[in-house]
Amino acid sequence: MLLDLSEEHKEHLAFLPRVNSSVVAEFGRIAVEFLRRGANPKIYEGAARKLNVSSETVQHGVEGLIYLLTESSKLMISELDFQDSVFVLGFSEELNKLLLQFYLDNRKEIRTILSELAPDLPSYHSLEWRLDVQLASRSLRQQIKPSVTIKLHLNQNGDRNTKVLQTDPATLMHLVQQLEQALEEMKTNHCRRVVRSIK
Amino acid sequence: MELSESVQKGFQRLADPGSFDSNAFTLLLRAAFQSLLDAQADEAVLDHPDLKHIDPVVLKHCHTAAATYILEAGKQRADKSTLSTYLEDCKFDRERIELFCTEYQNNKDSLEILLGSIGRSLPHITDVSWRLEYQIKTSQLHKMYRPAYLVTLNVENTDSQSHPEISFSCNMEQLQDLVGKLKDASKSLERATQF
Repeated sequence: MLLDLSEEHKEHLAFLPRVNSSVVAEFGRIAVEFLRRGANPKIYEGAARKLNVSSETVQHGVEGLIYLLTESSKLMISELDFQDSVFVLGFSEELNKLLLQFYLDNRKEIRTILSELAPDLPSYHSLEWRLDVQLASRSLRQQIKPSVTIKLHLNQNGDRNTKVLQTDPATLMHLVQQLEQALEEMKTNHCRRVVRSIK
Repeated sequence: MELSESVQKGFQRLADPGSFDSNAFTLLLRAAFQSLLDAQADEAVLDHPDLKHIDPVVLKHCHTAAATYILEAGKQRADKSTLSTYLEDCKFDRERIELFCTEYQNNKDSLEILLGSIGRSLPHITDVSWRLEYQIKTSQLHKMYRPAYLVTLNVENTDSQSHPEISFSCNMEQLQDLVGKLKDASKSLERATQF
């Protein structure tokens, strides 16, 4: 599958051949850093001064690079397809090689970052548990009531969410049994067939 | 066991054959247990023809006293000898003491369940449901090809009677971690309860 680059996009990327490869590599590094941490406009200004161009040009160049990398990573395009897609930009072979290497080196991490953008349900982080025995309450003395207190740590949108819950021994066994069945499901023939056929 | 004077007086009145004959005593005693343990019970428990001849104020007072005593006894896990001693002190005759103890014994388990269920506790997990899906793509990421689980815990809140749900997603490793930890807890529980 080839990337479809818009005219505007191609224009932005046209800045790259005008600088030497170490600058392109630096832009690439900035691009990935922006994906990790978010954009920092001050960097554009510093680079613009050094290269003697407008900061807008630098910004477009970096953003063009970001878009190129994220689209390629999202679609998981092959090496060949990436090379062919970039070919239309008319860059030098050296620059093409550099871009390809950059794509391959950072693809995995970029995909991880992109996966965090999906519609988000709280996701499991970890679980702590504690055994308790209730001995008495205001309304009933002399009890022996075992229970399990659970601290469930969930992640959502980068925030940690903690729930403190309790359950009784019978329900605990039931939970284990049900969730073990859930794990077993992936090993069934049905699921294996589905996984094999969707590729 | 600490009972107010009003309760003690009401209870002592039940011992008096002049106020309550055998039949009335039995009926009132059963009514007291019923009021406490039967969720559908209301004031009509005292609407029995054989109780009509008793002054309603007295009836209500003694019914309340009996119910209060039953709750106290239940709370303190009173045994037969404790009950007998108190009833003797209130001047109940042998027959009424036996009757009370029998009724109490019959209802003891339900009473203890009721008392045990009163009180605050953490949200209680009652059930779990799960969904296994195979993720193919999202708007941000194509060609994903990985299994994912959605787990929902059904939770009950004792005081608010609400049933919130806690849902979260996890991958295979995370679910294995979760199940592993719950299994540890379960095994520890088994070991601890084998004293």
